[in-house]
Amino acid sequence: MVPFCVYLQRDGFNQNPLFECLVAQVPEGSQSKEGFTIVGYALYFDIYSTWKGRSMYLEDFYVMPEFRGFGIGKSLLSTVGKVAKEKQCARLQLRVLDGNTPSRDFYAARGAQDLTVNEGWHMIRFDGPDLERLAKETH
Amino acid sequence: MNFNIRDATKEDCKDELALYEKMPDQVKISHEDLERDGFCPNPCFGCLIAEVPEENKSKEGFTTVGYALYFYTYSTRKGRAVHLEDLYVMPEFRGFGIGKGLLSNVAKVTKEKQCALLQLSVLDWNTPSRDFYAARGAQDLTVTEGLHLIRFDEQSLDDLGNDAPKN
Repeated sequence: MVPFCVYLQRDGFNQNPLFECLVAQVPEGSQSKEGFTIVGYALYFDIYSTWKGRSMYLEDFYVMPEFRGFGIGKSLLSTVGKVAKEKQCARLQLRVLDGNTPSRDFYAARGAQDLTVNEGWHMIRFDGPDLERLAKETH
Repeated sequence: MNFNIRDATKEDCKDELALYEKMPDQVKISHEDLERDGFCPNPCFGCLIAEVPEENKSKEGFTTVGYALYFYTYSTRKGRAVHLEDLYVMPEFRGFGIGKGLLSNVAKVTKEKQCALLQLSVLDWNTPSRDFYAARGAQDLTVTEGLHLIRFDEQSLDDLGNDAPKN
């Protein structure tokens, strides 16, 4: 079985990368218990809105638990926001679970709107056999 | 009703925007934006058009009667995926399987490009659309998993970017 990191290497670091990623790094002297100096990351990619044009989507955003509370998450998110502005993106979007109150509060505190609460947007997915079946129904 | 589904061309952008202008809230980008963003070496989106023969054209004379606009996304769990951003059929052409045809063709593109997921968003009060997708096997992740869609735009995005560390 191929480790998933191989797919990430293939998909993110070729001529036409499918995503970009920022990492948060601490000095050697502050490394994690397991010896990592990379303690957080934010993975994002370009999307498109027919209302507003080019936009960005934050797919993954993570800081190791022992490194939370030091502003690392805030810096990662702000830097993603800065990249979005530099690329002249009109929007930055992401998803969060309704039970994840700390994250929801974190985004709300930084001015994000919850479109599911405010406008009633639902996220819909087709995968596996349902996607196969749908693809076979073509006209 | 005879109809054909094909890839959009640059020339379709004007008609696409005309379709959109029938919708209650106007789109903010121009057909030049669509042409630039969709038909460059690294396009920001793909688009399928549904068209009818001349003799079946719309009251305003359009043969382009629907479209599906999609782009590629990435899931760190599943790899490359597709997001269906817009799916629209002119009201006078609904009920003939055109919407279903457009959706299935986007699913076919999804499979051909070896993407694991096809995702989209729908408003909670849009019962016909929610039923349409559910009938075709979609899961509503907001209902089943509690996923919320979050957005930073305009002022909040500016403020966020301005907070970035200056290193």
